[in-house]
Amino acid sequence: MSEKTPGNTSEKTVCPRCAHPAIARLFTSPVPGVWDVLQCEQCLYCWRTSEPARRTSRAAYPDGFKLTAEDIRDAPEVPAVPPLRDAR
Amino acid sequence: MAYDDLRSFLDALEREGQLLRVTDEVMPEPDLAAAANAAPRLGDTAPALYFDNVTGFTDARVAMNVHGSWANHALALGLPKDTPVKRQVEEFIRRWNDFPVAPEWREDPPWAENTMDGDEVDIFRVLPLFRLNDGDGGFYIDKAAVVSKDPEDPEHSGKQNVGIYRIEVKGGRKLALQPVPMHDIAQHLHKAERAGEDLPVAITLGNDPVISIVASTPMKYDENEYELAGALRGAPAPVAPAPLTGLPVPWGAEVVIEGVIEGRKREIEGPFGEFTGHYSGGRSMPVIRVDKISYRTRPVFEHLYLGMPWTEVDYLIAANTCVPLYRQLTEEFPEVRAVNAMYTHGLVVIVSTAKRYGGFAKAVGLRVLTTPHGLGYATTVIVVDEDVDPFDLPQVMWALSTKMNPSGDLIRIPNLSVLELAPQAQHPGITDKLVIDATTPVAPDHRGNYGNQVRDLPEAAAWLDRLRRLAAHR
Ligand SMILES: [Zn+2]
Repeated sequence: MSEKTPGNTSEKTVCPRCAHPAIARLFTSPVPGVWDVLQCEQCLYCWRTSEPARRTSRAAYPDGFKLTAEDIRDAPEVPAVPPLRDAR
Repeated sequence: MAYDDLRSFLDALEREGQLLRVTDEVMPEPDLAAAANAAPRLGDTAPALYFDNVTGFTDARVAMNVHGSWANHALALGLPKDTPVKRQVEEFIRRWNDFPVAPEWREDPPWAENTMDGDEVDIFRVLPLFRLNDGDGGFYIDKAAVVSKDPEDPEHSGKQNVGIYRIEVKGGRKLALQPVPMHDIAQHLHKAERAGEDLPVAITLGNDPVISIVASTPMKYDENEYELAGALRGAPAPVAPAPLTGLPVPWGAEVVIEGVIEGRKREIEGPFGEFTGHYSGGRSMPVIRVDKISYRTRPVFEHLYLGMPWTEVDYLIAANTCVPLYRQLTEEFPEVRAVNAMYTHGLVVIVSTAKRYGGFAKAVGLRVLTTPHGLGYATTVIVVDEDVDPFDLPQVMWALSTKMNPSGDLIRIPNLSVLELAPQAQHPGITDKLVIDATTPVAPDHRGNYGNQVRDLPEAAAWLDRLRRLAAHR
């Protein structure tokens, strides 16, 4: 899929946000060949291939928005799952 | 007059010169969000935006900034577009007195024209989804009305809820939703999850303009949003049963998405640029499985840009945040004259009040903190005299400049509740709060040297009218 990603012809496509290599295609432009909507299988980040590099390329993605596998694992639960009501 | 759907309101906006059609081809990103980011900078008469030529789409129709100015907010309520802010809030209060007005069940909703079911559901084929802000985790839906019922009391129409929550699109039939604990849908979900059940929901997009206003009004848990819509419209709100869940949804919606919040499931969501003007961090949040989509032919995707205030969301949740606080405060303190809670959904609240006796204004300020909305939002309350207009910030600054002495007029209360999105909290959900008494002390509170205050001359009001007439005929 990387050869279809504008501005990213030499390196293999990874998630811009968490650098995970597994990327799924969610949707393709109704006008054929214009853009794809991709999604990272680890952090679920979702982007359109026609977006600016600051949103689509790992190299240009701002550090402040990057996520690690630990960030995802330790993300707080909102809202917390309540205890099951005991069936008396 | 009342609008039964979004399209008739867009027509009205266009007739009033309040709709800007962008006919040039634009990119889905960053153009659509950047335009909606910029629109409110045009001022209190900024127009709504309409796009129908978006790169890569064959059939996209996108409406943004529909509520994004005081002119558009006035038109949504059927008022002249030049109605002043304070007057719009007063009219909102007056119409709320007609609450409740029962909704009207209406046949043949236009959204029944097309459907997708089960595995054929693909939200990307219905809506031209796009990103708003750079750091958003994905494409969001943030102006839809989400309808749910209290699973322990499903027949109680008051406990049914219609609310606007942030929704992330995570797949063709998978969404994420944020139920902040202070919000009614969080109570519904809590009850369903305690019982080990899913919570059915109906998500309606592209609603008539009053539905968006009531869905973002902090009403009490057992108050019905459609019954407020009827009062604000001056006519019953038209509703129809959603085909899969039977939940009552707006008859005039462009799109109705039905499914369930999957009980006891959480998954990474966000971040999202929020109404606070800051991103929320990535968090583990509930997941929606979509089972059915119903939609009008050629639906209009209504979307809302939010970021550093003011943006459309600040207009949408301005008057409707002031009014419930005013109503709740005046129940116990009829001396309260007006409430301005339009800054960041009431994280700051300005109240003008007459004083019963010395120290009274501080009690009014403390009461703000314990109203249902205050529990999650109000962090700083500024109390001003009855002759200060809380909507006139230069007057509020005058009160702060001359009436407030930090030695006795700042009340700081540690560790109160606040919604988790509030960035200033030391730990999410807990913050100190502040009441600022900027009223003139009255007996037995003898502080300061106030003597006699300068008042407007008695003839000034008549001269204001006269000058306005002269200016209009220049
Ligand atoms: Zn990722």
